[in-house]
Amino acid sequence: MLTFELVTYRYAGAARPSLQDVSLVIGSGEVVGLVGASEAGKTTLCLVAAGLAPRTVRGTLKGRILIDGTDVAPLTIHELAGQVGIAFANPATQLSGVAGTVYEEVAFGPMNLGFSRSEVIDRTEAALGALKISDLAEREPALLSGGQQQLVAMSGLLALRPAHLVLDEPTAQLDPAGTRLVAEALARLALDGASILVAEQKTDLLASICDRVVALDAGRVALDGPAFEVLGDARLAELGVAAPASVRLRSLAGAAGPGPEALAHLDGALAMEATA
Amino acid sequence: MVSTALAITLGGIWGPALLTVGAVLLPAALAGIAGRLLRTALLLTLPIAISVLVINLFFYPAGREILFAIGPVRATSEGLAFALETLARIGAISGAITLFYLTTPAGDLVLDLERRGVSPRIAFVVLAAVQTVPALVERAVAITAAQRARGLDTEGSLWRRLRGVLPLAGPVLLGSITEVEERTMALEARGFTRPGRRTLLWHPPDSSRQAAARWLLVAAIPLALVARASGWLGWLG
Amino acid sequence: MPDLAMESVVHVYERGAVRALDGVSLRVLAGERVALVGQNGSGKTTLVRHLNGLLRPTSGRVSLDGRDTAPLRVAELARSVGLVFQDPDRQIFAGSVAAEVEFGPRNLGMRGAELRSAVDEALTAVGLSNEARTNPYDLGASRRKLLALASILAMRTPILVLDEPTTGQDERGVATVRGVIDAAHAEGRTVVAISHDMEFVAGSFDRVVVMSAGRIVGDGPPASVFAASSWEMLRSTYLEPPMAARVGERLGLGSTPTDGSLISALVRAG
Repeated sequence: MLTFELVTYRYAGAARPSLQDVSLVIGSGEVVGLVGASEAGKTTLCLVAAGLAPRTVRGTLKGRILIDGTDVAPLTIHELAGQVGIAFANPATQLSGVAGTVYEEVAFGPMNLGFSRSEVIDRTEAALGALKISDLAEREPALLSGGQQQLVAMSGLLALRPAHLVLDEPTAQLDPAGTRLVAEALARLALDGASILVAEQKTDLLASICDRVVALDAGRVALDGPAFEVLGDARLAELGVAAPASVRLRSLAGAAGPGPEALAHLDGALAMEATA
Repeated sequence: MVSTALAITLGGIWGPALLTVGAVLLPAALAGIAGRLLRTALLLTLPIAISVLVINLFFYPAGREILFAIGPVRATSEGLAFALETLARIGAISGAITLFYLTTPAGDLVLDLERRGVSPRIAFVVLAAVQTVPALVERAVAITAAQRARGLDTEGSLWRRLRGVLPLAGPVLLGSITEVEERTMALEARGFTRPGRRTLLWHPPDSSRQAAARWLLVAAIPLALVARASGWLGWLG
Repeated sequence: MPDLAMESVVHVYERGAVRALDGVSLRVLAGERVALVGQNGSGKTTLVRHLNGLLRPTSGRVSLDGRDTAPLRVAELARSVGLVFQDPDRQIFAGSVAAEVEFGPRNLGMRGAELRSAVDEALTAVGLSNEARTNPYDLGASRRKLLALASILAMRTPILVLDEPTTGQDERGVATVRGVIDAAHAEGRTVVAISHDMEFVAGSFDRVVVMSAGRIVGDGPPASVFAASSWEMLRSTYLEPPMAARVGERLGLGSTPTDGSLISALVRAG
């Protein structure tokens, strides 16, 4: 469980705080989606959740962040690393730069945390398999495409098997298949009891994996509720967030005014797509 | 390779030209990277080399024998000799450093340091230092490509190339700092700075012949110092 | 307005033996809007870098209006082809937004009123008019990406090439990119863009080119590339048709690649 209590964060030198009085609970086994316009505070919330702000990124934090009920304030960044995993949007800076192959790159985290040799190998192979990149194992990470690098970075994170996971646009550069693999991997982690926070522009993805969605507006929580409610909320557009395709199609159809029979058919087709 | 580079750098007080050929160019040629080595080393040392040559040739204080004169400045043969000697040293040092960069993957170096008991934190600092140069180069190359795509002509003459690269120094450095910050965050989030031993899955290969060569080179340093101090082998330096 | 053509282009990177392009032939007509789609690593970025000479074919030929581009420098090709990189931080270098946008057109010889209007127009198109004096690194990542787009727009090249222009953009940002493409199209410029966003592809492009493992495996208007008969080909390259096409197919309304085409088909059907 990851808890935010009235969290306010202001970057060093910034005039205004980037987060204001954010309170949020991400339960064990829960996937919470985070939406909002650019610069609404999504990345800041991710950095704060992973403990990188203010430990690595300078700024002032008010309020508390708790992991399973314990305040994280006294913990160092590497103590947190074993508990909270974070992925960023830019894959190039997430790769360690010390690994000559994809295999070494994915093994990097478990090696750092000092697991036994067999455990490191086990975790690495499972993580490569989960995102179907085992065939990239011997390739050099720096020579992969942006999307492939993103999968490698994600895989390196899965190998840590964190109980809490914070993802900042993890699928930004991924093709639809890669996006779906990431979604499946997250769903499995949640089943194992992980608490997951995902910031995304792709609301279709959130609709398929999230229990709950939180919308930020200028650093404050504007909407917070069950995924289908928040993603279907008309106020989403005002917050600069694109509705999922199904919601968008339904509201366009409603406005265009075909017969009730056609609308019922549309609803049926949308429902079937949602479960497909 | 690590020690080869260090030993050549330290031992390069005498016969540096001989060393450059024997200990830098020969292994580079064997590894099939002589061309890349020459290009990189030349690029690194060209500005220093030119200034060393000009300053010593014309302004060597003990210069007596005049080779030729341009207005009030006179080129002396002692100056030329000293300049060539210095250039040979610089060549040996930059060649050795370049050889090290081209042959030693950053990851292997860190693994090897750790295996020898260096703490991960220090290994991290070494890594950051080793990574800075290629990261800067890579970024400069990417931005130069983007500038060419926006009509800056950097192909052809050396001057055209410099015109493209010189104004980049500041922004590339700044941008790289931002990138290093982000990478540091990612490394920390993956537990790289955790105290205590990491699990190492493999070791870089280190044959007994490599180890022997390393010791031989290290032993050559005091030998070189003694030889130089005693004036023995004076004909080389 | 020039045509672009690639003939049997193969590209093998120096490090790594993979054939990033494995015999690509493609002709883009002046004024077309072409979307390039495909799995990560299928060669899309490698392909577009051949269009402005940043990469040269290992074998094969790239030509602009029938003329082989091999002897042309990148800086010369920049008059015809403007390429926006995927990662703005590999492109941006200047100390202010205005200086960044000025750089390209200045290199192309624009000065005075012409230069000012090119810069103003580009900044307005991406909504950064009020940030002319801002340092690019004080902008968020999504706005830096729009700045990179503006810096190419200002060059007023007849061909515009965009590498994943909508990633990291919120709804407004995506609408801005769509607006830029529409405006370029209205002026008769050619647009080639890489994207993973099938809704964006179906809505803003006349033609979709599908890549897989360095080859072109599909090519046609959205209505045919996203039609049910092409789904097998799409799925073999791990792509999915947009939601409107899938729903249209379920409702027996035929090929409806965009929201608009689905809704009108629905209304027609009653």
